[in-house]
Amino acid sequence: MRAISKAFPGVVALDRAELRASFGRVTALVGANGAGKSTLMNILGGIVVRDSGEILVAGAEVALRTPIESLQAGIGFVQQELNSLPTMSISENIFIDAFPLKFGGIDYRECNRRSQVLLQRLGAKLDPSATVGELSVGDRQLVEIARALRRDPKLLIFDEPTSSLSRRERERLFEVIRGLRTEGVAIIYISHFLDEIFEISDDLVVMRNGRTVFSGEISSLNERELVRHMMGARENEAPLQKRRPADATELLRIESLSRGDVLKDVTLTLKAGEVVGLWGLLGAGRTELLRAIVGLDPIDKGVLSWNEAGRTMAIRPAELYRRAGFVTEDRRGEGLFLGMSVGDNIVMPNLRDISRLGLVRGNEQRRAAGAMITRLGIKVSAQEQKVSTLSGGNQQKVVFARWLASAPKLLLLDEPTRGLDVDAKTEILRLVNELADAGTAVLLVSSELEELTRACDRYLVIIRGQIVAELPAGATREELVNALSLTAGQEVAA
Amino acid sequence: MTAAVSSAPLSFARRYRARNVVVALIIVLVLGLLWVLAPNFFKINNLINILVQAATLAVMAVGMSVVMIGGGIDLSLPFSAAVSAVLGAMYMRATGGVVVGSLIMLASATAIGFLNGVAVGYLGMIPFVVTLAMMSITAGSAVWLTNSISISHLPPEFISFFRMRLAGLPIPVIAGISVCAIAAFLMSRSVFARQLYAVGSNRRAATIARISTNRVLLTSYAAAGISAGIAAIMLTGRLASASANLASPSMVLDVVSACVIGGVSIYGGAGKVWGAALGALFITLLSNALNAAEVSLYVSQMIRGAIIIAFIAFDRFSAVGG
Repeated sequence: MRAISKAFPGVVALDRAELRASFGRVTALVGANGAGKSTLMNILGGIVVRDSGEILVAGAEVALRTPIESLQAGIGFVQQELNSLPTMSISENIFIDAFPLKFGGIDYRECNRRSQVLLQRLGAKLDPSATVGELSVGDRQLVEIARALRRDPKLLIFDEPTSSLSRRERERLFEVIRGLRTEGVAIIYISHFLDEIFEISDDLVVMRNGRTVFSGEISSLNERELVRHMMGARENEAPLQKRRPADATELLRIESLSRGDVLKDVTLTLKAGEVVGLWGLLGAGRTELLRAIVGLDPIDKGVLSWNEAGRTMAIRPAELYRRAGFVTEDRRGEGLFLGMSVGDNIVMPNLRDISRLGLVRGNEQRRAAGAMITRLGIKVSAQEQKVSTLSGGNQQKVVFARWLASAPKLLLLDEPTRGLDVDAKTEILRLVNELADAGTAVLLVSSELEELTRACDRYLVIIRGQIVAELPAGATREELVNALSLTAGQEVAA
Repeated sequence: MTAAVSSAPLSFARRYRARNVVVALIIVLVLGLLWVLAPNFFKINNLINILVQAATLAVMAVGMSVVMIGGGIDLSLPFSAAVSAVLGAMYMRATGGVVVGSLIMLASATAIGFLNGVAVGYLGMIPFVVTLAMMSITAGSAVWLTNSISISHLPPEFISFFRMRLAGLPIPVIAGISVCAIAAFLMSRSVFARQLYAVGSNRRAATIARISTNRVLLTSYAAAGISAGIAAIMLTGRLASASANLASPSMVLDVVSACVIGGVSIYGGAGKVWGAALGALFITLLSNALNAAEVSLYVSQMIRGAIIIAFIAFDRFSAVGG
């Protein structure tokens, strides 16, 4: 792709961006949020049409005005496994847009046979007639790859494929990618995880503000240099100051909390003013634990005690939620009301506080929302601005603002920085720190070790719904990783 | 406007304005045709008559819009009004108690709305199916209670009250305008309304934002019930009788179309109550116009159905990429 430009009303999304992907090589595409990666890929997919620039596939120029032209040009996308059709079989998923026909009906035998071939090519031992909804996330991803491979693409694009995979599933995915590379397929790999990029790719393209700022072999630079390219001149990832609330009061004690197979006898305590990292793999019960604590999911058993005004009392999860805040990982799906204004979003959980006789007081709302916008430095032109028009970082601040208004004693954070660029991440973590300084107890879930080690005072390790270990603030990344594998090893041995 | 609008082809606000222009154009077109085809249409009595008809439809449309903003639908609404009218009228005829009879209408319609709300909000049932079943129950019970005979000979003071005029406007019109005004005020200012918009636009996010979504949904269906009760009183007073025929499937369609034409999203979370009220006026105007132009009832039904599809399509297409 040469000198690709694209402007949307009000923003230049791409400014003479360049991208080269070679047959038989994996090209990583990285960039902070808003760098133009998605726009560039949408242009390749024929979803967005470029304003200028040329795209060559194997030397021939292609127009890519529609998704169909993109398919014909040999460009394939591996969709996230969320796009699969869970009630249908693997082969139906693979052939959904072009079933082989026989006598005017679907030729299921042919369908299964060809699916089998594709799955074997990926080294997957799956039955093509199995229902996709019953597969693991990793297997579903393989089905999506098979679907993309069906058309024998010359270029295959993976967009954040590992975001919901376990370590082992990720390794298998990398095996598959390496296999495709050996077959001569050109691969573009988009990811926020730098370690993955160094593990899997041969070439690297870094984008920033719609431009290509680096293009070359990955071996020519290290992780630190890559971050510098992504972020511009600034150095990042400075560790945050640690607090040591050695003898703070115990705020919340959870004893023997269980829910089905998901949570087993979870016991933990939280002190006022500390940030506790909940460290575990996806699917270990991290989100489930947070949801159970505040009553979003029912629990089978367990006792919660809460310290308020020097008195300890038993508390029900739903009551606890009135004293707590919860930031979910799915900002757009569970956090925000995208059609509503920034102001409306901020005051939503605390409407009672700014109303009289069941009527919202406009002045109170403006004052409350305005205070939060100033305090968190949310960049908006007016409170009436639609929250959907903000950047990811500012949107997440809106989610935080909502909980800060009620000054919660307990804050549950589930991947609070997902999808944010490094700057926005740092700002959010700093905010978490400030809250803890002011006495809020924070339970933080994150898949990014970097983030946990920057923010946490101690760590709880969760595996398969059980808290299996606790590590102190000084724990290194290696110790944390080992905590997961060590215990996993014991489990296998047991 | 800020840069905010830039990314979407048409923001909601702009679509909303575009829709109002379309509605206004159709009204002008219809009125222009009538001016030529049926000049009698513009007699003051006929216009007031249209307002009276529109008033009951508007009250029901306001109730429907509340449910729709929460992401649901209440197909039973007009039939709930009919069966409530029948119950209240039976009481009035038997005892002559006008106030209690009216309260019975209000209470029974609210109770039906409450049941819908429990089913949808607390039992997690699908609004379309629950209220369709409730429509069958209410329609059936209205016929069963009355044996298809209209209940007339209601207390004269009840009838004459609805024949009164204030400032030249009949009581039903004034009642309709008041209900719409109060509902519009509450739906723009109340905590409940704010929470309802939130639930309608994203129920999961609403739960996370500490909103008691089941209670909010229950309240919305109960509110629709209240509107059905008010409509029942207005209809009975205007017609001086109550019968199972007060409601019909085409009335359900009229109520829903009033909302859709008025800009209430069938996907929930968006729309304004007064839009639904204006939609009701539009529908009434249109069916009267078709009637005045001597278009057959069936053709009129076809045209009204087509208009709803056109409006939903309009919403869909202007929302693409938005």
